[in-house]
Amino acid sequence: MKLDPRTKLFIAVVANTILFSAPLYISLTMAALPTVLLIAERKIRFVLLFALSYVVAAFLFYQLKGQNFGLFGTFVTAPMFFLYRCMPICVLLYYVISTTKVNEFMAGMSRMHMPNKITIPLAVMIRFFPTVFDEARDIGNAMHMRGIRLFCLRTMKNPLTILEYRLIPLLVSLTKIGDELSVAATTRGLSPETRRSCMVKIGFHVQDVVVFVYCLAVVACFVIASRAKQSVVDIISALFA
Amino acid sequence: MSNIRTTGKKSSNTLVRDLVNVGIFGALYVIISFLVAFIGYIPVFIVIVCGLVGLVASIPVFVFFAKIDRPLLCCTLFCFLFGMVMFLTGHDWTIIAMSVLGGLLAGIALHVSKKSFWGCTLANMAISIAPSSMILPLWTNTEQYLELAASMCDEEYVAYMTNLGQSYWPLVVEFGLGFIGCFIGSFIAKRVMKKHFERIGITK
Amino acid sequence: MNVSLKNVSFSYTESLDDAVIRNLNFEIKSGECVVLVGESGCGKTTISKLINGLIPLYQSGTMAGDVLLGDKNTADMTLAEISRHVGSVFQNPRSQFFNIDTDSEIAFGCENLGMNPEEIRERVNRVVKEFHIEHLAGRNIFHLSGGEKQKIACASVSATDPEIFVLDEPSANLDLKTVADLAEIIKFWKSRGKTVIIVEHRIHYLREIADRICYVKDGRIAHEWTPVELESKGPEYAASLGLRCVNLKQLGEIEDARLRGRDETSVIASTLSSVIASEAKQSLKESLVFKDLHFAYNRNFPVLDISELSLPRNQITAIIGHNGAGKSTLAQVLCGLRGTWRQKRKARKYGAYLIMQDVNHQLFTESVLDEILLGMNLQDENAALEILERLNLKEYANCHPMALSGGQKQRVAIGSGVSSGREIVVFDEPTSGLDYRQMLAVSATLQKLAAGGKTLLVITHDPEFILNCCSNIIRMEHGKITEQYPLQGNQEKLVETMLNV
Repeated sequence: MKLDPRTKLFIAVVANTILFSAPLYISLTMAALPTVLLIAERKIRFVLLFALSYVVAAFLFYQLKGQNFGLFGTFVTAPMFFLYRCMPICVLLYYVISTTKVNEFMAGMSRMHMPNKITIPLAVMIRFFPTVFDEARDIGNAMHMRGIRLFCLRTMKNPLTILEYRLIPLLVSLTKIGDELSVAATTRGLSPETRRSCMVKIGFHVQDVVVFVYCLAVVACFVIASRAKQSVVDIISALFA
Repeated sequence: MSNIRTTGKKSSNTLVRDLVNVGIFGALYVIISFLVAFIGYIPVFIVIVCGLVGLVASIPVFVFFAKIDRPLLCCTLFCFLFGMVMFLTGHDWTIIAMSVLGGLLAGIALHVSKKSFWGCTLANMAISIAPSSMILPLWTNTEQYLELAASMCDEEYVAYMTNLGQSYWPLVVEFGLGFIGCFIGSFIAKRVMKKHFERIGITK
Repeated sequence: MNVSLKNVSFSYTESLDDAVIRNLNFEIKSGECVVLVGESGCGKTTISKLINGLIPLYQSGTMAGDVLLGDKNTADMTLAEISRHVGSVFQNPRSQFFNIDTDSEIAFGCENLGMNPEEIRERVNRVVKEFHIEHLAGRNIFHLSGGEKQKIACASVSATDPEIFVLDEPSANLDLKTVADLAEIIKFWKSRGKTVIIVEHRIHYLREIADRICYVKDGRIAHEWTPVELESKGPEYAASLGLRCVNLKQLGEIEDARLRGRDETSVIASTLSSVIASEAKQSLKESLVFKDLHFAYNRNFPVLDISELSLPRNQITAIIGHNGAGKSTLAQVLCGLRGTWRQKRKARKYGAYLIMQDVNHQLFTESVLDEILLGMNLQDENAALEILERLNLKEYANCHPMALSGGQKQRVAIGSGVSSGREIVVFDEPTSGLDYRQMLAVSATLQKLAAGGKTLLVITHDPEFILNCCSNIIRMEHGKITEQYPLQGNQEKLVETMLNV
């Protein structure tokens, strides 16, 4: 089942505006959507992984939330909260990123009349996240072999050096890769002025409509729920007054 | 010899290079600010985070400035991308508006100063508006932000945040620290550029 | 489509005084296959940039003269227009991808030209069939090996069906089997009447394909041969011009003689560096033995599965085998960069040091001297200078390591390994993309190190290099050692196996 890239973008925007402030049941209904979509893409291992970490994080969070451990408590609960609250968004972003190809994404953006000047850097950015980590890992390896670690006499003496050792080789190799990539892309005809086509046909189908309706329904529920909550608060405060 | 001419002039042919650079450095900037932002979980540090981002990110930002030919376009795009990513990872829409503003200012500073050191410093400070705006909702949309914080952290932290939200001083301090971080960072970056990148030949 | 360069000069700076190319006149006829050879820095890559339009449209510099594609001047076109006629493949397979999956990457050029989706799909399918890369379709590019990436790059260029192909050192990072596949691809293009221009150090695989081999020196075409002519002049002639071997089959016989002479020189070298030689004598064991080298991402598919590896002490051992046989993983496990924490702890004890293929990753400081000092436990400047002396780097002590040339950078990295006092040094493809002279320089450095008491392990795809300096061969396949033999007396076997892997 393939969704149009624009639909995926829509889900992402909706999810981000409501997931953080919505009550639990609504964020779960919202999270159900990417989960179903991921299962449809046969990425069941990831779904299980996400589900498991979600349950663990939620459990720990509720166990720890009541107690007051002070600063330490925040240290433990905050990442747990992060996991527990962000898991729906993570599932969603994972779905969007892992199933959208760069060319589909660019085609979708150009259908929305987004200029190439914005889509090209965005596409490069998506491609570069893994590259940055790859390069950083290689540099870390090299530092390790040299015996440069975070906690050793030499780096303790001057903590800025560790930043320097990490950043400079990284910047050098990233600029080099960037130069080579832009040369390769321009010689293959990438230009901000011409209109690209896309190998994959994109367009709205039944599944897109279903997803749209589902999202809108969740948003409606969210609005109604927050109104209702507001009115309950109003009634209670009126009673006490 | 007849028709001697300079090559590689500004045209659609070299625009791709700038756009690719925006993408690469944007990715790096986002990664750096995410890593540094984790320190923000320690309450005392939440205000300093932006200063730290400015300090660390100054070096890549300076390299970025040196690599681009069209400062106005590139800086605006750079900050817009940052705002987009932050928006998609659960921030308010204000982040996009503020980022674009910062990017525009940075672009103007670079364009007018023709990439002199002080121009770069100003532009670097303008870019820091983008990450500094990350906790802006604490003041513009206080209730919602605190509600969010309440569901997330222990009471002390929330109390601390509420406290912060009551006056505008922390906001000023936060932006101010962002600027100061970038200011100091710029001097470090200048030294690093001289020490490394100019000698390597990556920048002129 | 004919390509003609008319009285072209080009300089990367603002004046033509220090031009790389001077008054070059060069014609390439439609359907020809031309190979540009020459030592590094001779201007051959610049010529390729002139043909694919990067000069004058992208690269900043100063130019005089005209480049004509057919009857059009490249200066009046845009790169997007040129990309319809000229397709380019570059040296580094890692950095020429815009997409994350292979299919979209093959379609990338067509999409940029705005073709309609049906036609693009048809072309992608056709190219996949023509190149026999069905097994690569629909894969994540980040999971492919260098050779596979290079095939995808060729396929992507081929999909737009340009009349001219420009390849800039396409084989630099490939093993001999993939190089043979690349040769097939070029042959295919030629059979379709395409013009192919290849900038290359390794010419053996183009022996039967090339129409002309042009030797570039100081921005001019100094010689022109057909491959047969060059081969008939003998390997010594090619070597004297700094060229790699034209026919690998000849290698076995010639190098035998060289090898016999070599043992004597290494004895002299070891007596010269007596201080280090005495260090070496402390260890009387003949070879270093490693046990249980295993590594797997997934239990069912071991990447590395070696129960015993023995390296002859103070000698150079080459590891051969094709891309993906587990050679790099072996190197990383030996150096403690991968594996269980027990393996890592052990690795720290015997301490192998890896010289990476991309040495940029392992240079950190602002001067060559600091780079050597950084690795030392006791920072002793005199000792550091002595190391630099031995690596012919003394005059660069205050230079920035990353500002040096590729070969010098590599020597700085070697120096940092030596200064850390490690006994084993592992090299990951030290000669990829090097011309003959640079290759000789690397092998001289390695021999010096071995004579000085280090045990060296070299991962390489370069038979010429192995014959030049290695003394033992290990062949790996599917994460296992399949063969281990001394080079002496086995030269022909080595060349034979490397050609057939």
